[in-house]
Amino acid sequence: MFELDLSEEQIAVRDLSRDFATRVLAGAARDAETNRRVPDEVWRQVFETGLTAPASEDHGGGGIPDTLTHLVALEGLATGDPGIAIAAMWSGGSALLVGLCGTAAQQYAYLPRLASDRQGRGGVALYEGFGRAPSEYQTRIEHLGSGTWQVAGTKVAVPFAAEADPLVLVGTDPTTGELRAALIPPDAGGVAIGPRPEHGHLGLDAVPLHTVTFDLTIGPGQLLGGPGAAAGLLVGAVGRLRLSVAAAAIGCAARSVEYAAAYANERIAFGKPLAAFQGVSFLLADAAIQIEACRLDLWRAGVRVDAGPIGGLERAVSHAVNYAGSVAASVTRDAVQVLGGHGFMRDHPVERWYRAAAALSTIDFDPTYAAFAPAL
Amino acid sequence: MTVSFELSDDLVGYGREIRDWSVEAVRPYARYADVHHAAPDHWRQIVETCPVAIGTHDRRQVKRQPAFAEGKWVRDLVVTESLTYGDHWISNVIGAGIGHLVVKLMGTPEQIDKWYRPIVDNGGQTAFGLTEPQFGSDTSMVETTATRDGDTWVLNGTKMYCTYGGQADYVVVFASTDKAAGPAAIRAFVVPKGTSGFHVAKFNEDKLGIRSWTTSELLFEDCAIPVENQLGWTGGDGDGPGPAPRTRSGRSGALGALAQNKPNISATGIAMAQASLDIATDLLQEQRQSFAPHRWSLVESDLENMNAALGRARLVNFRAQWLQDLQRANKTEASVAKAYGPPTCERVIRRCMQLLGPDGASTDLLLEKWYRDVKILDIFEGSGQVQRIIVGRAVFGGADRVA
Repeated sequence: MFELDLSEEQIAVRDLSRDFATRVLAGAARDAETNRRVPDEVWRQVFETGLTAPASEDHGGGGIPDTLTHLVALEGLATGDPGIAIAAMWSGGSALLVGLCGTAAQQYAYLPRLASDRQGRGGVALYEGFGRAPSEYQTRIEHLGSGTWQVAGTKVAVPFAAEADPLVLVGTDPTTGELRAALIPPDAGGVAIGPRPEHGHLGLDAVPLHTVTFDLTIGPGQLLGGPGAAAGLLVGAVGRLRLSVAAAAIGCAARSVEYAAAYANERIAFGKPLAAFQGVSFLLADAAIQIEACRLDLWRAGVRVDAGPIGGLERAVSHAVNYAGSVAASVTRDAVQVLGGHGFMRDHPVERWYRAAAALSTIDFDPTYAAFAPAL
Repeated sequence: MTVSFELSDDLVGYGREIRDWSVEAVRPYARYADVHHAAPDHWRQIVETCPVAIGTHDRRQVKRQPAFAEGKWVRDLVVTESLTYGDHWISNVIGAGIGHLVVKLMGTPEQIDKWYRPIVDNGGQTAFGLTEPQFGSDTSMVETTATRDGDTWVLNGTKMYCTYGGQADYVVVFASTDKAAGPAAIRAFVVPKGTSGFHVAKFNEDKLGIRSWTTSELLFEDCAIPVENQLGWTGGDGDGPGPAPRTRSGRSGALGALAQNKPNISATGIAMAQASLDIATDLLQEQRQSFAPHRWSLVESDLENMNAALGRARLVNFRAQWLQDLQRANKTEASVAKAYGPPTCERVIRRCMQLLGPDGASTDLLLEKWYRDVKILDIFEGSGQVQRIIVGRAVFGGADRVA
């Protein structure tokens, strides 16, 4: 059935998340960045949305949304602040992976606590850089025999590495060549957390990001889904996490266009509002055109994630993520441009979106999806 | 003469010497300048270690920069890129600003002797006060007023985003002597530092980038200056309120001064982008084994294409300033240069961060800083959109239908 409208429930989620973003997140963005942490009171309110620990009602949560709904919610939250939105989503990665891929015992061990601890943090050690897609991850989760598994590798942009309970590590099982994940408690030995950059991060300071090196052995109980876990579930869940970064980028870009358009309607130059000049208005029209294509690409990839393991899913996710990263970086850049000198000042939020979108575009970048292109 | 893009060995060597020094002496304080919104305290000692004469904004230059066959403006392009390759905080402590360029364009011979020559000969820093809260690109909207009172002009108004405004020896302030007379009544006035009624409302803005550059908001409250501080003043009645008597209005003088500096703005962006590209290239080479072979070949072609793009940006800069050195018209070429380089420099830095992955945007590297710094270059001293209007006038045969 060909259907390009969101469901009523998804529309409600979109509107609620945008409203929440406007009321709560936009005003907290500066604070979260300056203090390099989401304020506790804001985190408590984000917790109520369920995004920081999505879990089924059986486990004390409010239910796990389907992927598209999840993405719609995240895009909405990112219109308030992409940094806080992505912090919440990344924290929720632990509950999400345990809920979607864990054994019943793992779900009961972790989810009730995650779904009730208002200040708890989760985190997923996923990315490796170097343009690698999940199927190329070199972090190994390897059976050594007699119920012992070796976990070894280096992950970048690991959120909440020092406090996530549990931290979920995604790697490759060299025996099968398929994805596996391990549950790593916060006090585990053999986990070397690199320093957080001293002066912050270009645009993602609401969440601590670390490079983490793993070299430890674990028991079968720490294997997500147990030794016989179906890799297909994990592939889908990882796809959802990756797409979330694209959703945050799009939310940030869409908000930048709104903000710059409002400014261009008000600001007078040469006797007319800036919006009356095509050199200005076309920047934002181009932005809107790209965002529309980008969002539909994201939605399609999100729907495919929920359709189960199908061929080409990873590449579809990579296309959506890389295009969204590129579009958001360019759109937020143009939003600063439309505000001119004022856009360069921290009095307006567009400079923060410029930084956040560029930072998001580095997270899951693969040069094979588009070559460098000069501006002119 | 046949076309040749070869710079002389002398100029290339001169630029390389400055560039090496900038990496060694200037770059180590790049992060400091960003975090503290200021140059390091001992910047004078740092400048003194420079092997070539660059002077400082407040100290007599011991020896003049050597002349090269290419001419002053082409030399300055090379010097600008080389100096700022380490980091551009150095510009803020040695840069002369652009106020004195307005003096040169609009001043009488006496005014040029008084305010332009000393800056060029002895060093010094000047600022340019044009932008106001309600306008940037549309310079006809000047609200600041200049009212004649006996032998003085009395200025009232607010100027924003004045580079060096809070510290310059003087600010060239653009003000209207008669609002009813429209933009033609906008004149330029030299307001020395410390003049009564001249207040630095905000010494430096809180900015996305170029944080160590002084970007001031200036307030003029019944600020009285002698009549002879009006650029172009000759002592006659024609210098009273109303349209400027000289053929060169205040606005065209202002825009003329900006035109000369446009390629230098682009050169600063090229320095940031080239520095990012060189750092990224070294790091990526070290990480080569971590890339899949098919991906590495794309990394290599990206790096090559980025170098080529920066090379083209240099060419349009050289063309504009070569014409400037020959005192030939270069208004269009200067706008081409400023429109062309900066947005591509942004993309180069962003791409380098992406190729390096999430750590590429960390504050452990300077790329994220330069990505913040570079954005202003396509905005100030005439945005990319304004440059397109100017280029468009040439394309469409001079018809001024755009604005």
